[in-house]
Amino acid sequence: MTKLLKLSLAALAATAAPVLAHGGDHPMHGGQVLLVGETAFELVGKPAGAELYVVEDGDDIAAAGYAAKLTVDAAGKKTDYVAAPAGGNRFVAEGAKLPKGAKVGVLLINTQSKARQMATFAIK
Amino acid sequence: MNRVTRIGTAVAIGGLLASAAHAHGIWFAQRAKQIAIIYGIGADDLESVKRQPNMESVAAYDADYKPIAATLRQDGPLVVVDVDAPPTLVAAVLQNGTWSWLPGGEIVKKNRVEAPTSTRTEITIKYAVTIQGPLGKPIPPLANQTLQIVPVGAIPAMLGQPLTYRVLFQGKPVAGAELINDMVNDPDATPIKTKADGTATLPVRNQGLNVIRAVHISPSPDLKKADKVEHTATLAFTLAHKPE
Repeated sequence: MTKLLKLSLAALAATAAPVLAHGGDHPMHGGQVLLVGETAFELVGKPAGAELYVVEDGDDIAAAGYAAKLTVDAAGKKTDYVAAPAGGNRFVAEGAKLPKGAKVGVLLINTQSKARQMATFAIK
Repeated sequence: MNRVTRIGTAVAIGGLLASAAHAHGIWFAQRAKQIAIIYGIGADDLESVKRQPNMESVAAYDADYKPIAATLRQDGPLVVVDVDAPPTLVAAVLQNGTWSWLPGGEIVKKNRVEAPTSTRTEITIKYAVTIQGPLGKPIPPLANQTLQIVPVGAIPAMLGQPLTYRVLFQGKPVAGAELINDMVNDPDATPIKTKADGTATLPVRNQGLNVIRAVHISPSPDLKKADKVEHTATLAFTLAHKPE
């Protein structure tokens, strides 16, 4: 990788980096937290799949009002998983694995307003 | 006001009107967390819903610049883009019609055949691209973006730093395109022209949304109907603010 490309990647990562917003950035469920604007996404790897928790401006969202999808990009392959509402602010994507180094796109759709929120995790 | 002053004022106003009329564009901006398409110039956030029927070629791309499904949706007074996964780029085109300048200074949405006394007639097409995610490689020429601005090298993390842009016309660098670095907050800035390699360098102006605008003129496909085609492209990207 050239120095220029490395610099570019670093700068653009900073460009797109989430910033701290209202609400905490500490994991509440042992996962990885990503703050995008005022929304905190926490992604948790579990043996049976992946869990997603969403807090908006300090308040848990009601998962039942949303549709969610995870797109796992690992080892050059992209796989989509439905993340089904599972009570409270929790979604469960059965069968989803979160290997280190994977990029995981989160798409959250408010089923009433159709508004979409997105986040992209780099799994550590 | 004497006659000379009146004439000077009229010419100046006419010039402003002419300038403003062909300076409008489309760009992407975040509205209530959604990716919205804005039509306007400066602080004028105009009727995008009215223009939605003429918006075409909406597209989104992932980090490898492979297409992601993208559609337009009206959301109240806004037009937003729904994508199926977090995109790296989103793009759109607006066919903004043919406009004629009448001798009295009025600008009408007619071609030369419909407005035979017009002193100037232009076909206007607006293009927009936004960078939504980290770039792992240079942005390629995108489908349907006849005029396109791409960053050359790294986008700085802080405002005030220089950034070189390359303007592409039909996928190739174009000289003489007019570039400004803040269509929203400084729309009347004196543009700089791209060099032979299509590049121009300007400081990044905002620690937030930056909307770069390029304008390029190409020959009319039908001189009976229009004198020229005005292409207006924007590139929108954001610099992150400090943590709260």
